Amino acid sequence: MKDRIASPRRGFAGALCLAAAWALTACGGGGTAASATDDTASASTLSAQAELGQKIFNDTSLSASGRQSCGTCHVAASGHAADNDLPAQMGGAALELQGHRSSPSIRYLATNTPFFFDAEGTPTGGFFWDGRAASLQDQAARPFTNPVEMANTDEASVVDKLSRAAYVDDFKKLFGADILTRPDDAFARMTLALQQFQREDTSFRPFTSKYDEFLRGKATLTDQEVRGFALFNDPAKGNCAACHPSTKKSDGSHPLFTDFSYDNLGIPRNPDLIQNADPAFFDLGLCARDSGDLLSRADLCGAFKVPSLRNVALRHAFFHNGRFKTLKDALTFYVQRDTNPEKFYPRNADGTVNKFDDLPAQYRINVNTSEAPYNRRPGDAPALSDAEIDDLIAFLQTLTDGYTR
Amino acid sequence: MNNRRFLHATRIALAAALALAGAQAFAQTATEADLARRLDQLAAELAAVKAQLAQMQAQRNASGDAAKPAAPMAQAAATAPAPVTGAAAAAPSEPATVLTSYGELNYNRPNKASENAQADVRRFVLGFQHRFDAKTKVVTELEVEHAVSSADDPGEVEVEQAFVEHELRPGLSARAGLFLIPSGLLNENHEPTAYYGVERNFVETAIIPSTWREGGLQLVANLDNGLTLQGGVSTGFDLTKWDATSTEGTESPLGAIHQEMSLAKARDLAVFGAANWRGVPGLLVGGSLFTGGATHGQSSASSRVTLWDVHARWNPGRWDLSAVYARGSISNTAALNATLVGNPTLIPKSFDGWYGQAAYRLWTSGDYVLSPFVRVERFNTARSFADLGPGITPSALPTEQVVTLGANFQVTPGIVVKADVQRFRENSDANRLNLGLGWSF
Repeated sequence: MKDRIASPRRGFAGALCLAAAWALTACGGGGTAASATDDTASASTLSAQAELGQKIFNDTSLSASGRQSCGTCHVAASGHAADNDLPAQMGGAALELQGHRSSPSIRYLATNTPFFFDAEGTPTGGFFWDGRAASLQDQAARPFTNPVEMANTDEASVVDKLSRAAYVDDFKKLFGADILTRPDDAFARMTLALQQFQREDTSFRPFTSKYDEFLRGKATLTDQEVRGFALFNDPAKGNCAACHPSTKKSDGSHPLFTDFSYDNLGIPRNPDLIQNADPAFFDLGLCARDSGDLLSRADLCGAFKVPSLRNVALRHAFFHNGRFKTLKDALTFYVQRDTNPEKFYPRNADGTVNKFDDLPAQYRINVNTSEAPYNRRPGDAPALSDAEIDDLIAFLQTLTDGYTR
Repeated sequence: MNNRRFLHATRIALAAALALAGAQAFAQTATEADLARRLDQLAAELAAVKAQLAQMQAQRNASGDAAKPAAPMAQAAATAPAPVTGAAAAAPSEPATVLTSYGELNYNRPNKASENAQADVRRFVLGFQHRFDAKTKVVTELEVEHAVSSADDPGEVEVEQAFVEHELRPGLSARAGLFLIPSGLLNENHEPTAYYGVERNFVETAIIPSTWREGGLQLVANLDNGLTLQGGVSTGFDLTKWDATSTEGTESPLGAIHQEMSLAKARDLAVFGAANWRGVPGLLVGGSLFTGGATHGQSSASSRVTLWDVHARWNPGRWDLSAVYARGSISNTAALNATLVGNPTLIPKSFDGWYGQAAYRLWTSGDYVLSPFVRVERFNTARSFADLGPGITPSALPTEQVVTLGANFQVTPGIVVKADVQRFRENSDANRLNLGLGWSF
């Protein structure tokens, strides 16, 4: 698994990187440690700071439009991801501007780390699709001033809106009566409260899926779910677990279904994204993130973060650009991308398939083509049959939180 | 020589060796055989008397002068393996603290892939034993594997033994701490001078996870009739760290889940026992059993790991013959594997292996001793899997057979140079030439 990422020529981790369609929309990630024992804690035990963060999380008045909060794009009922099939959410002062990437889930992120290259050179960690934020707090801060999201002109304007919020007295009580006179400090405290909310509120790490109950020995998977589970783990079939680990760790913690690494899957260009109307525009992901720190790493162009697959069955748009709208389509793409590329990519003028059309020609070599289920050619049988994809979907549906027997 | 021919030749060699041994042992006249037996008995009795004398002297020294008590490790008498590590036969001139060491420097050259040839300081071990009084000592070993251990290097630094031994009464001792589990022939006698071949045999690495140690309490009884009994309570294995995505569990199921008393999970303890009989000079017959819980309350399914073995070693004349059979089992693997299905390496229900080995002291000159040997071993790290249902239950692995043919050359007692070739029946890519240098003191 690590080899894939350390070897740029081979692309990144092979696996069913079910990059469920979430993007750089509002707010940061959430959740706390993936402990097997703390998943029954009650959200009612929030600290004062976290309670304040909860109010901020749901406060639409902090956006330029007055109609968008963190919770608008990270809907609890949808696994804290978007609750629609838009490729990217609408934002801006009048919610007239389309975002650039799909809204990722912000659950199960508390054990994520700032971006780093591990000992084998594997890019790992970081928040957002390109790892540009170093913490939940950092992530929570950025959508407030993103022009295509909450669209405030600057942080001071966010603090100005905060000063008129119903809970401003709570804010001053916690952080000092004069805190609002120092907008930079006030903004930092605001995002800190958001981070605290996401860390404390167990709804960001419920571990209440059927699969969790299965691991606890309190639920039994159906035959179809077991078949799907085996396909998920099998390195020669789905190979999903290579990027989305599915087993308990030796410390007893339940799996997060992501290794927080990056992969380049060659997702087809999505014409529904307005930015793609410009044929010269390409979203290059990791190498092109706004800090510019990886501009020299051409081998990382086209790579995006491997998301958790928990609650993936609740998604309505998949991958960083929301190109696919159903799990069936997303999984079919994984296994038929290389056997039937004509199903997913347009044709060139000469009739050939323009494979990996959302990448400039020089970066297409970065796409992961070495591992299952990608290691095929046109004419080969896909790694999974249609029935096996259905089995796999049955298993993925066991990853949805809120299972009741 | 191809594998089949090599194997055939090896079988012949092994059969011949056994036949020769039998001939040497039994084809003598009754008088000669009787004389030889009496000589062996006399030698054994003399060794026992020497040991008792040394112990008495040490006790006298200990009571008279605290600076002088001594109890070095006794080397295994003749060719029989030492009863247990640290068995003490005191000598009057030994200091209270004794430095010990052993090392292995190995060279492996695969036949089919010479580009993978490796030279390695496999192990470098320093240890000490300190005797507090005539009855009490501490035994330690600190090991460095692969020469360099750092964040960027693959080596390991390990505390391999760290226990206190106290003699409760003559012939009965108690140990507490991190000690080697009595299992098979090699685990407690794993120094390179104590076994044939550059590499330790597969049965006692893949099935018995040598060097296997646990933390706990142990009683060791040496009876007058030649029987050594060992038993105790210790830490055990940790199945919660089974990595179904790697092949480590295929190489050695228990090696993949041993804890080595490194922040070892200790909710579930294990019990173990071993009996070794040396009532006839030159002969050792024994067996062992280890069993203990291995999920520590951290899995919805609880499971037990059990490992047992029977072994024998016989030294008729110049011959050194030995055999081991070891079998391990893990309970409740169907439930454990239910959360791992589809992964490359599920938890096996059972695993086992045996070997037979014949060595012959072909040539001696002064301290020089040349001993060719042949060893045949068959082992299977996944003999069976619990049924998980059609399409999901893994197939048992094929049984691997390895034939090792080579020689140990003793330069002087404590230093050995080794060379051998190994042939694998299943994984013939692993066929290789091995060279090694070892010491132990």
